[in-house]
Amino acid sequence: MSVVQKNTSEASKWYLPGILTGLGITAKHLLKNLFSKNQMLTLNYPEEKFEYSPRFKGNHVLTVKKDGSLRCTACMLCATNCPAECISIVASEHEDPSVEKYPIKYEIDILRCVFCGFCEEACPVNAIRMGPEWQTPGVNGANFHYGIEQLAYRPQLKGGIMSVVDDEERNKAGI
Amino acid sequence: MPKCTINGKEIEVKEGTTIIEAMYGSGEQKGEWPAGKVAHYCWHPGLSVAGVCRLCMVQIEGNPRLQIACNTVVTEGMKINNTSDAVKDAAKWGLDFHLINHPLDCPICDQAGECGLQDQYMEFGKYNPEMAEKKVKKHKVVDLGPTVVLDSERCILCSRCVRFTEEVSKTNELGIFNRGDRSEIGTFDGKPLDNKYSMNTVDICPVGALTSKDFRFRQRVWYLKDSNTICNGCSTGCNVKVYFNREGFFRVKPVYNEQVNGYWMCDEGRDVYKFANRENRWLKAKKRTSAGWEEMQPGAAAKEAGMVAKSAGANAALVLTGQYTVEEYEAIISNFVNELKSKNVFHWMNMPEKAEDFDGLLLRGDKNPNTKGLLQILQKYGISTKWSDLTAGLASGTIKTVVVAGPEIQVQFPDMKDKIKELSKAQNLIWMQSGKNSDLEALTGNVWLIPMKSYVEKDGTFVNYAGLAQKFKKVTTVISEALTLAEAGDLLVGKMLAIKPEPNVFVEAVRPPDRVVVEHRKKNEFVYRRGTL
Repeated sequence: MSVVQKNTSEASKWYLPGILTGLGITAKHLLKNLFSKNQMLTLNYPEEKFEYSPRFKGNHVLTVKKDGSLRCTACMLCATNCPAECISIVASEHEDPSVEKYPIKYEIDILRCVFCGFCEEACPVNAIRMGPEWQTPGVNGANFHYGIEQLAYRPQLKGGIMSVVDDEERNKAGI
Repeated sequence: MPKCTINGKEIEVKEGTTIIEAMYGSGEQKGEWPAGKVAHYCWHPGLSVAGVCRLCMVQIEGNPRLQIACNTVVTEGMKINNTSDAVKDAAKWGLDFHLINHPLDCPICDQAGECGLQDQYMEFGKYNPEMAEKKVKKHKVVDLGPTVVLDSERCILCSRCVRFTEEVSKTNELGIFNRGDRSEIGTFDGKPLDNKYSMNTVDICPVGALTSKDFRFRQRVWYLKDSNTICNGCSTGCNVKVYFNREGFFRVKPVYNEQVNGYWMCDEGRDVYKFANRENRWLKAKKRTSAGWEEMQPGAAAKEAGMVAKSAGANAALVLTGQYTVEEYEAIISNFVNELKSKNVFHWMNMPEKAEDFDGLLLRGDKNPNTKGLLQILQKYGISTKWSDLTAGLASGTIKTVVVAGPEIQVQFPDMKDKIKELSKAQNLIWMQSGKNSDLEALTGNVWLIPMKSYVEKDGTFVNYAGLAQKFKKVTTVISEALTLAEAGDLLVGKMLAIKPEPNVFVEAVRPPDRVVVEHRKKNEFVYRRGTL
């Protein structure tokens, strides 16, 4: 347990000096913000939004291949690496033998997620990335278990983000 | 008996032993690599020597070149070493050659996590391959048969599976076709790999070339725990390892036991885990009343059914299948004989005409793991009843209440329907078994259905066809409320369940006489520690 040492000096017992100092600080900020508005830190939130760096780790995106299908191969390395255990994947056999394995369920419990980015670090095929979105409130009863539909094909992604790792190109290169 | 020194450790081996066998260990230490591990792919203790992977290189003193351990016989005074830089270098290069055409498939390969290539790569890996050529592409996802899928790109041509079909199953389906880097495993003329032991090829495949259709893509192996138990598929009693996690059981693999199954097990036995999984089990007990089925806790149902059994007394009959442990039989039969004074204990044998069948390797016609054990206990209590006695008793009305310990593996009981029909003639039917059964749930009359624990959920002993008693330990709990047959037997005769005291290993039974007790330590320590209130 921490012990807080109170300021018990004589001067601190006087009421007015403390109040006036505080008011002074408030007045200083008021005047500063009144006369130089562009340096003001406060945002008018819903209209104005703060821009984070492009490296910001926000909501997850499942990338897609050229044909628009999921890049994910359901290797479950992200789920293994996830410290919050929020990823659950069910793999299945794909009809196309060159794809072989793909996820039929990919779900992220976004309320459990700690946005550490370990999933994108673990992914061997650049299938999961963390995007810039972070404002994803939900009204009462909203679903915070994001499935494939939400992670890969939500409207903001405009048809999906293409993965940089392409199997066909790798095949051609003889890897 | 030549003596040799392996990595500085002196080992005495039998005449004609190869170096790798000497290193693998013998007797008690078999498989423990007492003198240090050696990398190997093609050598398997249960198969002949092929010497194709060239990874088990060892240095023999006085020999200018490295030799393969799997095909070099130990001679007197041989000094062997596999920790030198030359050996490591050889293994490293051997691995690099294996990986020339190996695809980077690990993310979608079921073997990942238990793969020989991954293991050796972590140990000797050459992290910068010097191969600039393109990889040779071969067939992927080849359907070899009803149980196995082949990926020839991943194959390192160790020929273990080919030798298995040649030497153990003696079906000769597999072979290596083409030459050089175009060689591939395949079946002749596209004939399927379809024998009763085909899944062993998946186990012995050191890479992910052969994968099991049943297990394919269902779990990554690092999510699975494993535990040893005894297969309850037939009376051979193979030693097996079950792989499970909290979602259930996923697969079964054989464990070496020289007396019982060697290194192998049959495909049928690999399916029995399914009957222990939650989706195939009764979760709650059910009682049939005039209003229909009523769900109850298993313990409560057994207690209630016990009142009926007790009132029937000597008119109660017990029907046992050979699928429970010796301890359970002992408990329930002693309860029946001593408490209910009923000697109406019947043995329900499935497929008695096939009981003596044997396919020459492992599979036996008696599909119960513990028929011998049951017969021993019946003999012990002097019970020699026939099924016809039960039929007669049911017809004449001398048997009013029938308690059935039903089968765990119902598919092996083709007479299930008939027996349910026959036994449901009794006034009260108390049916205990682990798996669901729609015929039982369609019964009318006084019926209790009580869920039992499966073979992976209890300790016990199975006595196999040869009279060998094998103890096994509980693996995990799938349905915690389910009862073992011993517990159900106690509840049925009105006894309470008690935790059987076991000798405590942490507290000495007797205090040594010279132990001094300090006065202030006699205080209750809890009060002492808590301080003043």
